Amino acid sequence: MKPLSNLWSRYRWVNSLFVLGIVILVYGWALQGLKLDLQLLKDSWPYVLDFVSRLWPPNLEIIDVAIQRLIETIQMSLWGTTIGAILSLPIAIFSARNLAPWWLQWFANFLQNAVRSVPSIVLGLLFVAATGLGAPAGTLALSIYTVGYLAKFYQEAIESVDTRSIESLQVSGASWLQIAQYGILPQVLPLGLGYTLYMFEYNIRAASVLGVVGAGGIGFELVNYIRGFEYNKATTMMLVLLVVVTIIDALSSKLRHRLEAM
Amino acid sequence: MPSNVLDLNPNSHIEPAIECENLETRPVASLKRPILQGINCTIHRGEFVALLGLNGAGKSTLLRTLIGLVPLQQGVLRINGVVANPRLSGRATAMRRDVGMLFQGGGLIRQLSAIDNVLCGRLGAFPTWQTLWGFPKQDRRLAFDLLANFGLKDQAYQKTGQLSGGQQQRVAIARALIQSPQILLADEPITGLDIRAARQVMDILSKLHQERGMTIVVVLHDIAIAAAYAERAIILDQGRVVYDGNSHNLQEQFSRLTEAVPVN
Repeated sequence: MKPLSNLWSRYRWVNSLFVLGIVILVYGWALQGLKLDLQLLKDSWPYVLDFVSRLWPPNLEIIDVAIQRLIETIQMSLWGTTIGAILSLPIAIFSARNLAPWWLQWFANFLQNAVRSVPSIVLGLLFVAATGLGAPAGTLALSIYTVGYLAKFYQEAIESVDTRSIESLQVSGASWLQIAQYGILPQVLPLGLGYTLYMFEYNIRAASVLGVVGAGGIGFELVNYIRGFEYNKATTMMLVLLVVVTIIDALSSKLRHRLEAM
Repeated sequence: MPSNVLDLNPNSHIEPAIECENLETRPVASLKRPILQGINCTIHRGEFVALLGLNGAGKSTLLRTLIGLVPLQQGVLRINGVVANPRLSGRATAMRRDVGMLFQGGGLIRQLSAIDNVLCGRLGAFPTWQTLWGFPKQDRRLAFDLLANFGLKDQAYQKTGQLSGGQQQRVAIARALIQSPQILLADEPITGLDIRAARQVMDILSKLHQERGMTIVVVLHDIAIAAAYAERAIILDQGRVVYDGNSHNLQEQFSRLTEAVPVN
């Protein structure tokens, strides 16, 4: 084994070539699973162009409907993210390596993984069946969907807290709750708020998708227009969504940047 | 006791502040030994001791053991005559108030203001519910006065993340002092500071020692600073005390240590 390891350290390019070979094999394996038909792709290009050409110009007659649905989407995202954030916090605390005992960590991480593995559309269908069509179903679906991501983000923020600052509070005789209030929360809050803002922005797009299953928001109208071949109206919906997503992205980036500097 | 550990301590008639009897920590897999292996030393009240050694000697671990952050596998530790037993939480809290700790880099919460960081040193004195809404006025006054004493009156309400390294270290000292400890442990308090800031910090520690009679144990890497400020030096090597005596011939002691370490 020793001559082999000597060979390995002497000829590092062999190591790099080996790694490259593994990467190529993995991607090749994934590609063969896609069953890609290059000829079909080449032949479908005119249809794609035809579809895209039908999207333009946007039909501005339905702009009021688009704005109304967009407002509903933003409202869903706001409440869905807030409820999700509140639910995520205790799960994150119970998952954090530097706070919780191992058995609680295991359970909380399992819960996170379970929630994260359910697609948002399935959650949407679940709540539509429970509460009926409309925004409430979408909001509840978004809140559960948010937990799967925010809990993980919050957990990582808690785990990245400076251990020396926490030890300094322990040494002063602070209780667990005092350490959480004065040590962990101030350090986690800027990062946590940043993640929450990012999730709010993400949820506006997720809320659009939920509309496809009748859970409210702009997606419901969007998919109806596409199914009804009213592509110009669908374009109006997408453009309105694009404008709002761009504005919120810009505002949220600025705010997150300021929070990170704290 | 090693042959170069002499019991010529002129303070041996003074009550001991810290007594370490055969302190040993749990074994560490990477080292294949405990970090501390049978530490024996006594630090008397009012002494200024420099703790020195090469990297990995166990200096920080010893300080962390004294403050209760690192559990002991065996040995007896006494702080002001009281056996340090973490299971006795009430007594441990009282004992902790006698000991202040300066962490490497300060250990401050950078999102909190300087004054709030100092007040955090008082958390152990209040029940949890009382500090939910902040601290009493008199404590805020005390924290402000401490910061003013260290020339940080104008920075009291600034977030510590915005302060320089030297200023942060002074805030950390103020935090350690707010509980009026009798013993102050400082883990590399001048690491990363420029010469002026390092001198400022060491002058503060020296002043605390001279004016308040505080027992000070400070981990240092700079032999010259150790000789200038500390009366006594304890040198650790691989978790053991290899020198315990006055701080004037440290260069010679360190030469022996570095000769023993092969250079690649």
